Amino acid sequence: MSLDTSIDGNGVVNININGRFDFNLYQEFRAAYKQVENPTGTTFLIDMSGTDYMDSSALGMLLLLRERAGGDKSNISITGCNSEIKKIFSISNFERLFDIS
Amino acid sequence: MLPEKNNIPESDEVLDDVSVDIARLKILIVDDEVTNRMVLNAMLKKDGFTVLMAENGKQAIEVFNKENPDLILMDVMMPVMDGYEATRSIKSLVGDRFVPIFFLTAMTDEKALAKCIESGGDDFLTKPFSRTILRSKIDALLRVKKIYTTLQEQHAELVYHQQYIEREHEIAERIFKRIIRSDTLNVSNIKYLLSPVALFNGDILLVSPKPKGGQHIMLGDFTGHGLSAAIGAMPVAEIFYSMTEKGYSIQDIATEINAKLHKTLPTGLFCAACIVDVDIENNKISVWNGGVPEAIAYSAKKEIKKIFKSIHLPFGVVSSNSFKNDIQIMDAEPGDRIYLYSDGLIEATDENGVMFGEDRLDLCFANNTDPAVMFEDISNSLNNFRGNKKQDDDTTLIEVSFDNNLVSNKSSYKKNSDVKEPCKWSVSFELGPEILKDMDPLPAILHVLLEVQGLYSHRGRLYTILAELYSNALEHGVLGMDSTLKTSPEGFAEYYETRQKRLETLDNGFIRINLTHEPVDGGGKLSIEYLDSGKGFDFGSYQEQKKSNVFSGRGIALVKSLCSELKYNESGNGIKAVYFWES
Repeated sequence: MSLDTSIDGNGVVNININGRFDFNLYQEFRAAYKQVENPTGTTFLIDMSGTDYMDSSALGMLLLLRERAGGDKSNISITGCNSEIKKIFSISNFERLFDIS
Repeated sequence: MLPEKNNIPESDEVLDDVSVDIARLKILIVDDEVTNRMVLNAMLKKDGFTVLMAENGKQAIEVFNKENPDLILMDVMMPVMDGYEATRSIKSLVGDRFVPIFFLTAMTDEKALAKCIESGGDDFLTKPFSRTILRSKIDALLRVKKIYTTLQEQHAELVYHQQYIEREHEIAERIFKRIIRSDTLNVSNIKYLLSPVALFNGDILLVSPKPKGGQHIMLGDFTGHGLSAAIGAMPVAEIFYSMTEKGYSIQDIATEINAKLHKTLPTGLFCAACIVDVDIENNKISVWNGGVPEAIAYSAKKEIKKIFKSIHLPFGVVSSNSFKNDIQIMDAEPGDRIYLYSDGLIEATDENGVMFGEDRLDLCFANNTDPAVMFEDISNSLNNFRGNKKQDDDTTLIEVSFDNNLVSNKSSYKKNSDVKEPCKWSVSFELGPEILKDMDPLPAILHVLLEVQGLYSHRGRLYTILAELYSNALEHGVLGMDSTLKTSPEGFAEYYETRQKRLETLDNGFIRINLTHEPVDGGGKLSIEYLDSGKGFDFGSYQEQKKSNVFSGRGIALVKSLCSELKYNESGNGIKAVYFWES
C-alpha cells in the first residue's frame, strides 16, 4: 500500500496508488492534493493500475478531492482500473463524477 | 460521559537523560553500618542526588511510605528486618510503579545473591565495589525506570482511548438499534440477515408499511463507521418512516433523503442505498438503487425475472439539482421474491482471504430447487463458505416476498376503516407579521391536510392552490402590491424587490386561512378560505384587466382551473376555493 505524487511541467498532478486504496491512505492522499496551491482548474490524473482493492472510504476521498478541485468544474481522470474496481465505480455510478478508464 | 482519566500514574520525574534534574531524584540508602551509609551518602550527594537513609528494613518501609524514593540501595543482613523482607514489602507496596531496588552486600554466596533477585530486587553488587561501577548501574536502573514510566503512561493513555472508543461504539450501537426499530422487520413476508458487525459498520435495514397496504423497504450502507454512520442514519430513518406513513412515493423519499444528507454530511461521507416499493394495489415492484449491488427478482418458477442495477449515485453525493430519482419498475405476482444485499455479502471472505463473490451467489440461484428456501440456500452457502472464520465484514441480506394479502397492520389505515375518519372538521390559522416575514407556513398547512386519507394523491394540486392563494393574499392584500408591475422583465425584478422591502418592514397585517372538510360519497369536499388585512380590490376592475392584460392573474386562473368553485368576497380581501376529491 503506497501512494506517489508528482507534478509535471504542465501542472498536471499525477497520483499513483499501489496496493489497497482504503482508509489507511487517508493522510497521504489528503497530503497529495493539499500540496497543490490552486487546486481549482488543476488536472488530476489518478493512476490506479497498481491498485488491487478499493473500499468506500476511498470513494469518499475521491469526493473530497473532487470538491477541492472545483466540484462540477473539476478535471479528474482515473486510469488503469481493474475490473473489480471498475465494478465498484459503476455500482456507485461514479462515472458521472469522474473520467474513469 | 467520558471515562475518567484516572489510570495514569503520576510520574514524579521526567528524564530526558539521567543526569538531568538529578537533584529531583531521591535515593534511599538502607544499611545498619553507619560508615557504609556515610560513604554512600557522600558519594551520591556529590553526584547531586537527594539522599535518604534508613538503618534497617523496617525503617526503610517507613521512609519509603513517607518519601517515595526513586531508587533504593539495600543491604541484606540487618537487625529488626533484613533486606529480603523489606524488599518483598516495598515491592508489594509500589503497585504499578517501578522502584528499582539495588542490593549491596558483602555476601558472595551464589544462593544468597539469587535470593536478592527472588525477593524482588532488580540488581546486586558485592562489597567492596568500585564507585564507577555502582554509579553506572544506578544510571542503568534509572534508565529502565524511565522507559517503564513512559510505557506506563502510554499504556494508560491507550486504555483511556480504548474505553472512550468502546463507549462511543456502544452509543452508536444503541442509536442504531433504536433507529432500525428491529420490530418492524418482523413481518411475515420478510427474511433478513443483519450481522452485528454490519450494524456497527453502518448498514441499516428499514421496513415500513404504507398507509394503504404494501410496504417500503430500504437497505442503506454508510461510508464511515460507528458513531458517524449512526448520526447519518438518524435523519434517513426519520424521513423514511415518516414519509412512508404519510403516503409519499419512494421517489419523493429518495429525493428528500438525498437533500438532507447532502446538506448535513461532510463530503466523503455518503450512504449507498436501495429502496423498494411493494405496491399491492397495482401489482408492481419499484426500485430506486443508488450504489448498492444489484437487487434480484426471483420468481416462483425459479427464474430470475429482473435485475435492478444501481443506476444512481449514493445519497449525499450530489445536490438536489443533479439528483435523479428515476425508478425501475416490474410487474409482480404472488411468489415473486426480491433479494437485496450489501457489498459485504460479496466481499465476505473465507479462512484464506478468498471472497464469496458474485459467482457463488449466482450458483445459489442456479442450484435452488425450491424458491421458498432460496434465502436459506444463500445464508447456508455463505456460512459454509466462511467456515470457522470469524465474521469481520458487514453482511446484510434481505428477502422480500411479494404478497398481495399484505395489508397494513395499522388498523386506522385499513381500507374499510374510512368511517373512523373525522366526518367533518375545520381548522383555522391566523398568520401575523412575524410569521409572514420569516416563515413559509405552507408545508405545515399542507401537512395538516395530508392527515386526511385520500388527499395524498392530490397534494400537488392542493399545494398549488394553497401557494397561489397565499402569495395573492400576501402580495396584493397584506403588502398592497400592484400586479400590473409584472408586465416587463424590469418590472418583474422591481416587483420582487419591492415585495422584499415591504416584507422586511412589515409590522402589522394578517392572513387568515380556514380549511373545512366534509365527506361526500366516495371522497370529500374541501373548502379553502383566505382572508387578508389588505384593502381588497375592485372586482369590476379585475374583470376589465383580465380582458386587456394577459400577463397578470395567471395564478388565479390556474387555481380556478384546479377547483370546482372560486369566489371573492364583496370587498375583495377574501377568497374561497372549493375542491372536491375522490379516493
